[in-house]
Amino acid sequence: MKKSNTQKINLGLFVIISTLILVSALYFIGNRQNLFGKTFRIHVVFNNVIGLQLGNNVRYSGINVGTVKKITMINDTTICVDMLIEDKILKHLKKNAVATIGSDGLVGSMIINITPNKGTSKQLIDGDTISSYSRISTDDMLTTLNNTNENAAILTADLLKITTAINRGEGTLGLLINDTEMASDFKQTILHLKTASSGASKTIDELNKIIASIKYDKSVAAVLLSDSIYADKMKSVITNLEKSSIEIDTVLTNINEVVLGIQKGKGSLNYMINDTILIKDIDDIVKNIKEGSIRLNEDLEALKHNIFFRGYFKKLEKQKKERKK
Amino acid sequence: MKKSLHISDKIKSFLIEIGELSFFANRFFKEAFVKPFEFKELLRQCYYMGNRSLLLVGVTGFILGLVFTLQSRPTLIEFGAESWMPSMVSISIIREIGPVVIALICAGRIGSGIGAELGSMRVTEQIDAMEVSGTNPFKYLVVTRIMAATLMLPLLIIFGDTIALFGSAVVEYLKGEVSFQLYFNKVFNALEFSDLIPAIIKSVFFGFAIGLVGCFKGYNCKKGTVGVGEASNSAVVYTSMLLFIIDFIAVFISDIFFEI
Amino acid sequence: MGNLIDIRPVLKINNLKKSFGDNHVLKGFTMALNKGENLVIMGKSGSGKSVMIKCLVGLMLPDSGEIEIMGNDITKLKQQKLDNLRTELGFLFQGSALYDSMTVRENLEFPLRTHKEKYADSEKLVLEALENVGLADAIDLMPAELSGGMKRRIALARAIILHPKIIIYDEPTTGLDPITAKEILQLMREIQQKQGASSLIITHDIDCSRVISNRMILLIDGINYAEGTFKELSSSKDKKIQAFFK
Repeated sequence: MKKSNTQKINLGLFVIISTLILVSALYFIGNRQNLFGKTFRIHVVFNNVIGLQLGNNVRYSGINVGTVKKITMINDTTICVDMLIEDKILKHLKKNAVATIGSDGLVGSMIINITPNKGTSKQLIDGDTISSYSRISTDDMLTTLNNTNENAAILTADLLKITTAINRGEGTLGLLINDTEMASDFKQTILHLKTASSGASKTIDELNKIIASIKYDKSVAAVLLSDSIYADKMKSVITNLEKSSIEIDTVLTNINEVVLGIQKGKGSLNYMINDTILIKDIDDIVKNIKEGSIRLNEDLEALKHNIFFRGYFKKLEKQKKERKK
Repeated sequence: MKKSLHISDKIKSFLIEIGELSFFANRFFKEAFVKPFEFKELLRQCYYMGNRSLLLVGVTGFILGLVFTLQSRPTLIEFGAESWMPSMVSISIIREIGPVVIALICAGRIGSGIGAELGSMRVTEQIDAMEVSGTNPFKYLVVTRIMAATLMLPLLIIFGDTIALFGSAVVEYLKGEVSFQLYFNKVFNALEFSDLIPAIIKSVFFGFAIGLVGCFKGYNCKKGTVGVGEASNSAVVYTSMLLFIIDFIAVFISDIFFEI
Repeated sequence: MGNLIDIRPVLKINNLKKSFGDNHVLKGFTMALNKGENLVIMGKSGSGKSVMIKCLVGLMLPDSGEIEIMGNDITKLKQQKLDNLRTELGFLFQGSALYDSMTVRENLEFPLRTHKEKYADSEKLVLEALENVGLADAIDLMPAELSGGMKRRIALARAIILHPKIIIYDEPTTGLDPITAKEILQLMREIQQKQGASSLIITHDIDCSRVISNRMILLIDGINYAEGTFKELSSSKDKKIQAFFK
């Protein structure tokens, strides 16, 4: 009798445990599909649902908050998707939220992503419709990529044609070899550029020194305020600076012209290609200009912020405004 | 000429067998729901079929999950999809492998057990003795066993599935460094009602088939010890075959009903 | 003893026929069992003895013929009434037929379970029956733990637990050594005297029939070939009858 009682208890235990496992499994699955618990329903309209299915997840800022409940075709270009969203998420959902359809990983099932939008908006209520945004699907992405690839292929093919032609010395480019006048002009221009840029560098160096002295010696700064001579000197420095920057400007215009000339096929390109020293020179110059202009920018910025020059710059601005008027 | 006669005889006896089995099933349904109910014996059978199979089903389930995961890992890693492991394993175990493997094991254990027990009872006239004692042996022996198998098998399959998933989770935990929580989270994310419910319904039929064929073979056992051996052996063979047929039908039907 | 026998039969079989396919086992067997009588039916193996008693207790349906037990034709009885009638019958099976999965106590309680309201004090009945066969100690053993003779005695106890009016013994001494067989026969007589039941004994054991029979029937070729006391039959000149007593 005792034995059969323990048998009954064991059997009962087994039955209860197994049933519990089944019930909890059903509950977990149901819970994921929001069969239990409070939910509310919102709608969103798409042109294309890209394979979205009933029961697919809905994510809000990346959190699973609900499932797709119903997909209805309203007309040939609009599909209404009903979603069940957990009640507790309701207070975070605003009316200006945007829904997109995406895929969960490369090969995953489709999901609806709801993203909050900037700006303030009212809280969503049951039965609301939110706006949708048809994100570029993987297909579209691939199509674009394909187009780009094709373009790149065409470009490289053209480029190859051009370079072969240059190598053979054919066409107008070949003629440029004999155009010595143009070449000397170009050389001179480069020379001017060089001097100008070194001049700019020099000025900037001087300016740096001054600024350094301002920064490091407070007493000198104090002197500056009262010393009108020093202020005059400063003014002249800045005028110089302006001059040199204007010079750089003109050089740059020159270069632009040259480049334009090259673009129009006026010549000297071949010359440039063969003259390695020249190319190096150009490189150096460009570097110098870059460095110089960067420094110049820095210095100008520093100057602007320096209380001693604030007045000057303000004056300049005033003058500009007056001129505009 | 002689050979064809032989084949036609075989077909005939096969059809007779099926016919008898159908009558047997019919008798079960007629007697199962008419008083008196042998509740105590049903409980006893449930205990013997359920609890006594737990260890077997548990061990098999665990190894099943373990091996299945280990074997499919390399392929999934090759595709860079090892994060899909829990979903894949859980769906295939719960939908198909778990129910079928556990049902086959139970066919071996429960089916042959019933076949041998009823067979020897038939041979030693215990069934006759029961009838003479005023107890309906069909009710007492057959109905309770078929019912117990029908009730217990789904539970055993749920139990086995759980253990199999646990075994799979152990592999993932040790080799893939996936925590148990993440594993089961993924499992429940992957599972649908359409995975679980047809499998449970299917396992009810599996249990019924195991009980029915085992009882049929045992109850109609021929005389002698050879008959008992034959009864238990053919119970397992026929049950296994029937299980696959049921599985085929079940997959067909669930495919129709759960198609989206 | 013979003159004490009530002539009114408790069991009557009339023109019983049963065949399996082309094998006609019983071809019109007729007999009657009188109250308080020990009737032995002898026959060779396969002569249809077992078929006959299976028809007798309703385990098998005869092709034709009447079987009347205490005034009821059992071939026409409904299941419920048949079950009630069966409580008046005790049946000792050939191989004891004890339920292997149950203890001795459960084996003995089994015939009581369907008539609980009738036998409320099952414990007392079980103990009484076990004491009758002298095995009260074995109450909580399993059949597998018992010897062949003990099993037969337990089976006998199970057959008599309901105090049946008719006890049918199917080969009560088969498979037992002569000493145990004698013990069983002794028990059968004791019980018969104690409970006043009529006994129908099926056997092919000549010693058994000599010891226990008041009257004998020889079942040959599916019919009641010869009928009489042991003495009468053993002195018969018929070759077929003589074959039994050699």
